[in-house]
Amino acid sequence: MKTLNILAFAAAVILFTIGCAKKDTPQGDESGSESWKIGMSQCNLGEPWRVQMNADIKAAADEAAKIEVVFKDAQNDTLKQQAQMEEFISAGVDLIIISPKEAAPLTPVVSQACNQGIPVIVLDRRILGDNYTCFIGADNRKIGKAAGEWIVNKLDGQGNIVELKGLMTSTPGQDRHAGFREGINGSEINVIFEADMKWLEPNARKEMESALARFEDIDLVYAHNDPGAHGAYLAAKAAGRANEIMFVGIDGLPQEGQAYVKQGILSASFEYPTGGEEAIKTALKILNGKKVDKEITLDSRFFTPANIDKGGRELEAN
Amino acid sequence: MTKDLTKSSAHFLHSPTTRALGALIVVIVLGLIFNADGAFLKWGTHRDMLRAVSVYGILACGMTIVIIAGGIDLSVGSVLALTAVLFSLISIHWQWGAALAIVLCLIAGACCGALSGFFIGKFKVQAFIATLAMMVFARGVAKWLSGGQKVSTAVQQPDGSYEYGEIPEIFNFINAKILGGNIAVVTVILLGCILISWILLKKLRQGRYIYAIGGNEEAARLSGVPVKSMKILAFGMSGLFSAAAGICQASQEFQGDPEAGISYELSAIAMVVIGGTTLQGGRGSIWLTLIGILTIGYLEKILSINAVGEDKRLMLTGIIIIAAVLLQKNK
Repeated sequence: MKTLNILAFAAAVILFTIGCAKKDTPQGDESGSESWKIGMSQCNLGEPWRVQMNADIKAAADEAAKIEVVFKDAQNDTLKQQAQMEEFISAGVDLIIISPKEAAPLTPVVSQACNQGIPVIVLDRRILGDNYTCFIGADNRKIGKAAGEWIVNKLDGQGNIVELKGLMTSTPGQDRHAGFREGINGSEINVIFEADMKWLEPNARKEMESALARFEDIDLVYAHNDPGAHGAYLAAKAAGRANEIMFVGIDGLPQEGQAYVKQGILSASFEYPTGGEEAIKTALKILNGKKVDKEITLDSRFFTPANIDKGGRELEAN
Repeated sequence: MTKDLTKSSAHFLHSPTTRALGALIVVIVLGLIFNADGAFLKWGTHRDMLRAVSVYGILACGMTIVIIAGGIDLSVGSVLALTAVLFSLISIHWQWGAALAIVLCLIAGACCGALSGFFIGKFKVQAFIATLAMMVFARGVAKWLSGGQKVSTAVQQPDGSYEYGEIPEIFNFINAKILGGNIAVVTVILLGCILISWILLKKLRQGRYIYAIGGNEEAARLSGVPVKSMKILAFGMSGLFSAAAGICQASQEFQGDPEAGISYELSAIAMVVIGGTTLQGGRGSIWLTLIGILTIGYLEKILSINAVGEDKRLMLTGIIIIAAVLLQKNK
């Protein structure tokens, strides 16, 4: 009897939770029959940047009539993401947007969708081969290089820099590092301290404390994401040295990088666009039978205290 | 006479405290050798180490109580995230004031812990399972409350734009350093938690009960120890300390991050075990945990000031943990 009670209670809670969740999924247009169903498979929602990507997709979809987006979160699990893609295929959605966790294991399932006539837009991270409809993404290496060049210019070609790296086993970390080194190449800028802060603010603060303890003369901190730059700023502020050091970050999310630039904490934040809006625009073109480019590289902007109120400035293409 | 002396010196050499200190001393000597151009010799380095290790240390206090009671608490990192989000929501977005925010967060944390303790005491669910469930559940609540985004001074308006508010004074206060900038407030909070744990474990009747149920639960029950309520107390204390850690984490980041504290429970367990409190329960002390906290803290600091790569850091940390635990082994 007791077990039954517990089971009944658990069932009630689960039903209630699912009932609540159901309300969040957007309903199709009342006029109904013409509405398109798009499946969106997100590799994880742990990073604010990916939450923002989903929000951008949702905003763009809400604006365009007749689109219903079903969001799924793979929680950083490749197999889960494979299963989600299979669910979308068997549900017969009109189009799939996938931001894959990794290339090789998700390539077959993307091909499978394409072979069954479902267009697939691959967002941010790539898959192998070319059996997909369209790839949309930004270029981390280009952004890293732009950051490097901006820093060279800002420091008149010389100075001591601390580099706080993202997870160096991830491609964004590697590209933001390599691009940056390319950008400062040939100048008299020295990277005197570098550490892997694994994208996390508390780690960045800890590493920066060590850099401050070792070096009297630091001109600038280049962090691979904005929370890292913010963590470094907090360490410098606690040591009373925030005024003599500049901080530069990447990502430029409105609630992080842009906010920090506005508050005068960061000297610059380089946007890594989510492509959410672009994905829905492209999806509409595909669904309306128009031709789209196979590769779309997103334009990126950068924010400084001088341009933040005007919404940042485009990075010059090179 | 001679025999007595040998015996007492042997006892001294084999006491858990001495052996725990051994590992700490080894680490500090390593720091003196690899001092990174003298950076290790500055007081600021030690102060910053104590700051960086404080949040983990506060979790380790609760973990010590739970482990002595014969349990384990895997939910501390998630409860930390939940309270960090809650603290930021209440004080930044809702502006209910610092005192109320702190009290509500501490209550929320203690309730999470007590709920685990209730399932463990009343329904005999294993601590590992009950706190695993709480670990997942509390993380979910943190993500739900925050909408998956960090809760910061950038407040999203209904039209999707952002407004940037002011950071409440309490964040600056907890993030500050006091006594002429010589010690971080979070370190003082850690010391407070250690003191509370010590009073509970060594000065109160409840402390003796906690040791008793960790040593032999059945014997304790037969001799009249209220096992269920003591388990709720032990896990409730762990939840309470997790909430304190969450408040410190939020204050130091100036935001509530629903992803904060992932895998922190492992660091807390490592600190307790390196100190010499055994996972079997019934034995150990909060002072041993303090030694464990310092050992891990110094190890990380030394690796950091020498800018050692991530790969080597992980390998060295693994080696130090196993070496310290071997040092603790009874012959």
